[in-house]
Amino acid sequence: GSINITSYQIQFHDPRTLGKSLCIITGASRGFGRRWASLIKVVHLLEPGSVLLLVARSGAQLQEVKDELQNFRDEPERQIHCITADLSTKDGVEETVSVASQEAEKELDHVLLINNAGSLGKISSFVSFTDPKEVDSYMSFNVSSALALTAGILQMFPRRPGLRWTVVNVSSVYALEASPLWVLYCTAKAARTMMFKVLAEDEPNVKVLNYSPGTYVLYTAANVDVMACKDSAATLIKLIIDNEFPSGTHLDFFES
Amino acid sequence: MMSSAERTHLGRALCIITGASRGFGRATALDLSRIVQPGSVLVLVARSEGDLRALQAELFESEAGKAGVTVRVVVADVGEVRGLEDVVKASKEAFSPDMEHMILVNNAASLGDVSRLTKSFTDMAEVDSYLSLNISSALCLTARVLQAFPQRAGLRRTVVNITSLCAIQPFRSWVLYCTGKAGREMMFRVLAEEEPDVRVLNYSPGPLDTAMQREVRAKTADPELKESFASMFTHGQLLTCEESCAKMMKLLLEDSYTSGAHVDVFEL
Repeated sequence: GSINITSYQIQFHDPRTLGKSLCIITGASRGFGRRWASLIKVVHLLEPGSVLLLVARSGAQLQEVKDELQNFRDEPERQIHCITADLSTKDGVEETVSVASQEAEKELDHVLLINNAGSLGKISSFVSFTDPKEVDSYMSFNVSSALALTAGILQMFPRRPGLRWTVVNVSSVYALEASPLWVLYCTAKAARTMMFKVLAEDEPNVKVLNYSPGTYVLYTAANVDVMACKDSAATLIKLIIDNEFPSGTHLDFFES
Repeated sequence: MMSSAERTHLGRALCIITGASRGFGRATALDLSRIVQPGSVLVLVARSEGDLRALQAELFESEAGKAGVTVRVVVADVGEVRGLEDVVKASKEAFSPDMEHMILVNNAASLGDVSRLTKSFTDMAEVDSYLSLNISSALCLTARVLQAFPQRAGLRRTVVNITSLCAIQPFRSWVLYCTGKAGREMMFRVLAEEEPDVRVLNYSPGPLDTAMQREVRAKTADPELKESFASMFTHGQLLTCEESCAKMMKLLLEDSYTSGAHVDVFEL
């Protein structure tokens, strides 16, 4: 459904926010990640003292996102930092963890990590995938990276009273449904969903959400892309604020 | 041509089995040898030459061996390209045009470190290595084998993936194993969707009394889970590989499972 967070909050006098948060979002330079980052800032769900970390490979695009966000209000109490990092590499993951860890001294209420970075992979027949290096590389970026990043940040912000922890895995209907020619994407999405379910089992104080943003496939003459539906970022924000979902669950935008 | 209900054998077959040197893979080799016709060839793949040769000798001496089922051994690591190439090469050499069935059993897998929780997996290389063996190698081997033995009239093609309850249910402290199994199972579901003429069996063998299970008992970090496996062992509730494999053979003979579906030993 269509949810405008600001009008919802004004209408219902909803004082809930995400608290003084460290919000980390990967793949923040475009698409769903960019949209989520823009909404979170605009609707003042981050209390003063919050830090928004935008992570992507493209430094230039990230700076654009940051500039857009800073234009909305003059808010020195809510910081936005850009981390130009290639999360398909160990260095990129470690750099991100390192920057995030610099916020560890603050008395934060909430650490919120949105694992959104990912790739579509080659859309091709199952039998075409004869090269292990190609498959390894895809799984590394789309599965290993999210695990190593999540684990790294969890280690930097250990459990303590008063600290809320939320981890989101940006998933897809293809985590649950097998689609011909999409073996890489389906496999990685299915693997990720399970990975985050095990995280939910292992860490009872971490709220884990596998969120499928109601994606649709956009075929153009040049390529194929997976697009998130309008309002799905806002729905995710509401889900996090409501915080009613069972940890580890897989939710789809179309169901909520 | 026999109807599925009557089948007592899988025809003259080329059977490729990974992780064949012990445990469930070994049981699969022995059981398949008994339900394929003379002139069939088993291509047994594992890293351990000694164990493979011993199995080859056992099969040679067996009734099936005497009746004309032969065994080729491929000492290979399916996690390496060279290993994949060796398996396909040996399989092509073993194949004869009068064969009516090609069966690939993707059994080779590893448990991963179950002594640690999810948040300890900060080393990307460790996770990469695990996924490479448990996901990539199965995809690439299956792709190469299906290319080597393309669809043609008179040739049945069956691909088996040894899956697990862990593919569909998260187990505390088992992040690598669950992640790998979930990914693999989906992978083979995609195959089933794409290639309707290939019979894809995602077979979940149940808790087996194997070396892997010993590791489970020794290393599992979660105390409750560890205790439940210890208890299964003590109370004789683990299945033998033979018991579970016999059920898998029945599934293959009846050939009525839904291609790509998760089939659990306890459903039968």
